[in-house]
Amino acid sequence: MISVKNLTKTYKNGKGIFDLSFSVQAGEVFGYLGPNGAGKTTTIRQLMGFTNADKGSCAINGLDCRRQAKQIQRSLGYLPGEIAFFDEMTGTQFLHFMNDMRGVKDRKRMNGLIERFDLETKHKIRRMSKGMKQKLGLVAAFAHDPSVYILDEPTSGLDPLMQKIFIDLVREEKARGKTILMSSHHFDEIDRTCDRAGVIREGRLVAVEDVRSLKASQRKVFLVTVGSQEEVALLRASGLEVGAVTDNHVEIIVRTDYDSFVRALANCRVTGIDVLSQDLEQVFMKYYGQEAQ
Amino acid sequence: MNLTLFRVTARLNWLIGLIIFAVMLMYMATIISMFDPESMQGLLAMLETLPPGLVAAMGFDKLGTTLTSFLAGNYYGFIAIMFPMIYCIIIANRLVARHVDSGSMAYLLSTPNSRVTIVTTQALYLLGSITVLLGLVTAAGIAVSQAMFPGRLDTGGFLRLNLMTLLTFYAISGICFFFSCIFDETKYSLAYGAGIPIAFFVINMLANVSERYAWLRNFTIFTLLNPAQILAGDPFTVTAGLILTGIALVTYAAAIMVFNRRNLPI
Repeated sequence: MISVKNLTKTYKNGKGIFDLSFSVQAGEVFGYLGPNGAGKTTTIRQLMGFTNADKGSCAINGLDCRRQAKQIQRSLGYLPGEIAFFDEMTGTQFLHFMNDMRGVKDRKRMNGLIERFDLETKHKIRRMSKGMKQKLGLVAAFAHDPSVYILDEPTSGLDPLMQKIFIDLVREEKARGKTILMSSHHFDEIDRTCDRAGVIREGRLVAVEDVRSLKASQRKVFLVTVGSQEEVALLRASGLEVGAVTDNHVEIIVRTDYDSFVRALANCRVTGIDVLSQDLEQVFMKYYGQEAQ
Repeated sequence: MNLTLFRVTARLNWLIGLIIFAVMLMYMATIISMFDPESMQGLLAMLETLPPGLVAAMGFDKLGTTLTSFLAGNYYGFIAIMFPMIYCIIIANRLVARHVDSGSMAYLLSTPNSRVTIVTTQALYLLGSITVLLGLVTAAGIAVSQAMFPGRLDTGGFLRLNLMTLLTFYAISGICFFFSCIFDETKYSLAYGAGIPIAFFVINMLANVSERYAWLRNFTIFTLLNPAQILAGDPFTVTAGLILTGIALVTYAAAIMVFNRRNLPI
């Protein structure tokens, strides 16, 4: 398990993390959600023992992350956010190197993962595509069957098929009682795998909730195209939250009341519906406040 | 010390060492073949046509008449300083700073090995590879000399000269390694790790130009490597050797200690 207590780390530019406290239990997948620059990687660096905290502490399996990093690494699988390998090596050489560095002799699990992720290991890492590098990073993180995982933006660069394979793998590991922390700036990614999530904003945790209640507070924006201006007026008058309107295109913001939304649309001649993709601040306006708009 | 990492480090860096050795070997063979006791006068006459400052800066003003002193003047005053220095600068930077800058250090530290183990392994590779490099140069020097001028090399003096060169580069590599360990980015590691040894090298050349600049000798580590003094059996050589060993110990120990305590941006 992972526990973080009053963790503070300030950088020279004033950014950092401030007084963070949370914990992740065995058998739990914890999502760590925040936009770029909110402090996700800063927290992970602390958990990995790469940096010294100003205040507070963090522990994994009861061991101090900074002072007992060596012992922790025996049972920790880590995927860095910005993956940098030994570029001159081939995929196979790198994975064998990592196994040897960890003193792991058994290659059965590693070979199974290579097959599962359909990883090309013969090429030099420098020549690999971004997605292939990400898969290599995932195989390296899971290969030694650790009990705790720390994954920094694990699905970036993966195609939808590979994302599904990854999600299945995370669910399996969870069922085996592993502790998993994964960071992301997409709610969908967290939604599909995590039990609980912490929302971080400018270095402070603004919420730690289970994913179901987070989901309830997310807002979606639908771009509805209707047949005439009269219908636009009708939608405006329907009591729904209406955003920008251009010609016959109406942005409608929905939180939980899908029923009224559908009923209002039923009175119009709808010619198109699109879901607008939004960034995290817009999805979780509740936590990120109005200034994000 | 981690043997797996040592092997991988060797695999990623041996080629640079081999290239440096090849260049040093070529110069060694060329310079030995230029040795001709009879025509030394001719060479000296040729050097007289060059500006004396330039000749002195490259250490050619101390051309001896024996093969050993000829090598000491021609090879150990310049070639044997410049190329191992380039080697130390490049390799020291690659061993630590490059891994931190690129982020691959994160992978090394995500294995059950302490920072001290990782960085000590890299330090041992640097020290070990310099020993092998200069050991091979020494062996090549003896072999080429024996082949071309059997019995003319003062092997004892030649070995002392090489030992002192080795100690000098233990110290120089320590300086390079220290800067490789303390900076986040390779540009700073290189700026200091290359800048300081090169400054020593340039100061050494200037100090040799004329007596007017001799005071500069107090500001360069290369003053401790004085080929003529070493061959003459000057007792200061022992002191110089101890100072160089001390510098090496302090810089490597400090590098490992700082690396163990610092924040890593990986």
